[in-house]
Amino acid sequence: MTIDPRTDVPPAGEMLGDTHCPVPDTLPVGLDHVPTGVDREQAEHLIVNFGPQHPSMHGVLRILGELDGEEMISGEVNIGYLHRGIEKLAESRRYDQVGTLLDRGDYIAGIHGELAFAMATEQLAEIEVPERALWIRTLVGEITRISSHLLWYGPMGLDAGAMGQFLYAVRDREMLLDILEAITGARMMFNYIRPGGVLRDLPAGIERKILEFLDHFEKMLPEHDDLLGGNEIFQLRTKGVGVIDRDKALAYSLTGANLRASGVSWDLRKDRPYAAYDKVEFDVPISNEGDIYSRYLVRMEEMRQSVRIIRQVLDGMPEGPHTAKVAKVLRPPAGEAYAAVEAPRGEWGIHIISNGSDNPARMRYRPPAFYALQVVEDLIPGTLLADMIVVAGSMDIVLGEIDR
Amino acid sequence: MSIWGTGIVKGLGITIRNMFRKPITVQYPHEKLELPERARWTVEPSYDGEGNIKCTGCLTCVRVCPDHVLDMKLTVGEDKSKHIDYFRYECGACMMCGLCTEACPFDAIHMSHDYELARTSADELTYNLLEDIDAARPARKAAEPKPKPAGGADEKPDGAPAAEATETAPAPDTEAKEAQDA
Repeated sequence: MTIDPRTDVPPAGEMLGDTHCPVPDTLPVGLDHVPTGVDREQAEHLIVNFGPQHPSMHGVLRILGELDGEEMISGEVNIGYLHRGIEKLAESRRYDQVGTLLDRGDYIAGIHGELAFAMATEQLAEIEVPERALWIRTLVGEITRISSHLLWYGPMGLDAGAMGQFLYAVRDREMLLDILEAITGARMMFNYIRPGGVLRDLPAGIERKILEFLDHFEKMLPEHDDLLGGNEIFQLRTKGVGVIDRDKALAYSLTGANLRASGVSWDLRKDRPYAAYDKVEFDVPISNEGDIYSRYLVRMEEMRQSVRIIRQVLDGMPEGPHTAKVAKVLRPPAGEAYAAVEAPRGEWGIHIISNGSDNPARMRYRPPAFYALQVVEDLIPGTLLADMIVVAGSMDIVLGEIDR
Repeated sequence: MSIWGTGIVKGLGITIRNMFRKPITVQYPHEKLELPERARWTVEPSYDGEGNIKCTGCLTCVRVCPDHVLDMKLTVGEDKSKHIDYFRYECGACMMCGLCTEACPFDAIHMSHDYELARTSADELTYNLLEDIDAARPARKAAEPKPKPAGGADEKPDGAPAAEATETAPAPDTEAKEAQDA
């Protein structure tokens, strides 16, 4: 018998019978098993599909959540909606063309992807990078770090129900994008850092523009902090939620701010210095709680340290060429190289295998957010539905780099 | 530990303070921000001082483009002179990476500041940069300085004057040839 819901309204008692929210015989797309805890007879749990196209979801992530009331029983994270085959495409690109792909990996901090690739290529081809290029790399890297953290800080509040800080975060980020556009020629897809150095020297007058921003931002940072971190509601939402302890963070090979918020002091800028980071002074902020709030604190402090680094870089910028003499078509000798940088989201590593031709035989990158996303699946059970997206957002995931 | 709620009040204070700050909004279609000199948008052909094209039809840009958005058809004459039948540019698929302009040994193309690229159909985004025109002759080997090496590191500000100096040289030749053809 088919039921027409417009006419056949079952009596209240029967609502709890077969017709009430049955587990469908055909599972939702992407779910290959009935989640544990779902009783086909009782069907008390609700499966909620969240994403991939959802305004409050970070990128095109899809979470299949299983709900008991408002509590998440499990969450299955599905990725791959932004897969463009970056690693495979890199095999058919010349070494100077791969940077355009890596910009589109972590599109919020593309400089770091380019930098890691350039460093790996320089290892392979044994290129000596001029001092000034190293300092410029440090400068644009730190500017990108602040802009990336601002784009974490804003939506982080949106996830937790705040609105105003997002607008102020984007206001400040806009100034950084203007600076980056003046230096590199593009706001997000820079294609600026090349094997051997950087594409162009700094434009005239950019120092003044950067210093103007730093003065403005140093005044604004306490405001940002008060607006979101000082808010008691935000603290209630984030303190003690989504706790990753030290062991779990290490077991999931988390890196970057997520790891440092769990009490492990590991920062590639300090521990394996690259570019000019061994010549500037900065602190590596860590926090021990491992909850969302400590991730917030670590990232805010990192922005302060970035401001400190940029000031030192502007003071100590050496003169000289901005790029080494590199052949137009690079053909590094056969071999392998791995280079990693401390991207805003953690260790961004590039592994290249070269066979001596003008394109890499194989390129693989290590996206830090991919590892962070795996913890999310672990953290979801037991949280409330409203907290689930805060937990996922606090890991600072960018689907571009996860899906490649 | 302060009283619960002071943080919220403080936040409201910041919001009020921001209310009295100067707005940073730009009323876009009516007022426009100036783009920095390096901003990369669509590809455009460059011309020398006398309005002649600089493109020699060497196809370097076509080969270097990662997205294969440039397409050029050449007819080579008996005296090895090149005639550009068309130089097509599929702007809708272009990612404005600027590799073509970096690779161009004659600075014959540049990235323009034309960022208003909304069109009603995709076909309108395929431009004919050059059509049915004789290619410029590359400068003679003796006059030409060594092409700048360094993986895409030819800096325009410094390199431009030198390149222009060499590029203006062949222009009279081309003109003379065109006159002959006519």
